[in-house]
Amino acid sequence: MALPLPPGLTPAETGFLCEMELVTVIPRQRLESLQLLGGPTQPLNPPFPTPLPLWLALLLKKQRRANIQPPAWLTLSSLRTILDFETDDRTAGVFSPPPALPQPKTFPDPDLPYLSPDTVELSTPFLKDTHTSSAQEGALPYHWLELASLLLASAADDFPDADAIRVLIRDLREVRMSKLRKGFRVLEGGAGLKINGVGGLEVAEVRGFVGGVVDGLRRLGRAREEMRREREEEDGNTGVGDEEGSEDGMVL
Amino acid sequence: MDTDISDILASVSSPTVHPHTLDLQALTRAWVNERSAPELLPYPADLIARVSGRLSAQILKIESLTSTNNPGLKSTLVIYQTELERVKFLLRSYLRARIAKIDAYPHHSLALPASHLSPLEKQYTTHHQSLLSTHYHTSFLSAFPASLQRLDDTTGGVSMVDRPDEDTAVFCRVLRDCGGVDVQGTEGTAQVELRRGDIWVLRWRDVRGRVEEGSVEMI
Repeated sequence: MALPLPPGLTPAETGFLCEMELVTVIPRQRLESLQLLGGPTQPLNPPFPTPLPLWLALLLKKQRRANIQPPAWLTLSSLRTILDFETDDRTAGVFSPPPALPQPKTFPDPDLPYLSPDTVELSTPFLKDTHTSSAQEGALPYHWLELASLLLASAADDFPDADAIRVLIRDLREVRMSKLRKGFRVLEGGAGLKINGVGGLEVAEVRGFVGGVVDGLRRLGRAREEMRREREEEDGNTGVGDEEGSEDGMVL
Repeated sequence: MDTDISDILASVSSPTVHPHTLDLQALTRAWVNERSAPELLPYPADLIARVSGRLSAQILKIESLTSTNNPGLKSTLVIYQTELERVKFLLRSYLRARIAKIDAYPHHSLALPASHLSPLEKQYTTHHQSLLSTHYHTSFLSAFPASLQRLDDTTGGVSMVDRPDEDTAVFCRVLRDCGGVDVQGTEGTAQVELRRGDIWVLRWRDVRGRVEEGSVEMI
């Protein structure tokens, strides 16, 4: 019964998450609002564009009851802007910035239990307008690669220029992957690694490698780290007076 | 100044999230957190009770719709059933990920605070462990000296109780600004600033508290 998978989401599970994202659908048939487990859907009235979860949009698309309007960032001009950013020498060390986030609406409360509704802050795939037609242009959201491949596979006829977009997506993927690999140099000795703008599938792809390297390096350096910790504790015990001494210890 | 006003307007006029959608978000987060964290996380008993209650209600609804035999409802039924299976997968995968961790570290799991295990999980672990120790005793442990028969001995500097590695590197996303957080590295302790929207690879020990309060999520 226990799950036989290693820790961390697999690419298939990341795709499952992506299918919860809202996309814009142009209905061809009426459909009343449905009381689903994840909340009610909006009623479909042709030809008014309506946001629906991707899994439902793909289902309706398969039955030819709706068309999917590609998100605003998944257009030729937007993807070209992003590709220019990614291939620019001046921004070789960072990913193109992700879409802007709304202000947080909740606050941590130590008295409330884990995942209490009052402290749950919405995040992808439940953020509004990351993949709808009113999404931010020129910024790749977290599930960009999954969404693009799903749409290009099942709803290619809804794109005015599907083949050109396919090529751009592949270029983007290669550029970003090589950036990610170059970024691994900082893994050595670093306390943490910040990878803003990375995508879900990209994380799924490098998780095993990054986790293995960070944990492996930590095991190699464990003896040294424990010695350092002990020394710091000793310094802390001797008193507040010898701050200079402990700073020297950090440099070593 | 402009941004302040627009922020205030956004916070006032933003439509509230449907409670079912919020619960689905919470369940999804519980699943991703549990799949990625090296350690067993607290059990959100209320959330799981709400979701399971809705699941059974939805199954009843689908059954009654099926029995009406209305051909116009067929496509709607497909949608209901697809969504039902998706949520069932989520819940099942979540519970199975928990069982995998409990199986890997049974003694450690039983020693966790009561909020970490559901009554069923606790019953399963206790029963499994008692069966296992009875079996070990009858097959070989009884032949050992009395001082060596325990399965959870912590004397002598080495603990027999296996624990998850709390220093495992995890991928996480910051949901609310956390300010400066001390992180351990091999070279020393450093302070990093966790801002909303950041994605980090950090040690589990350093973010665990933030994940439990909901300011950071695993990815």
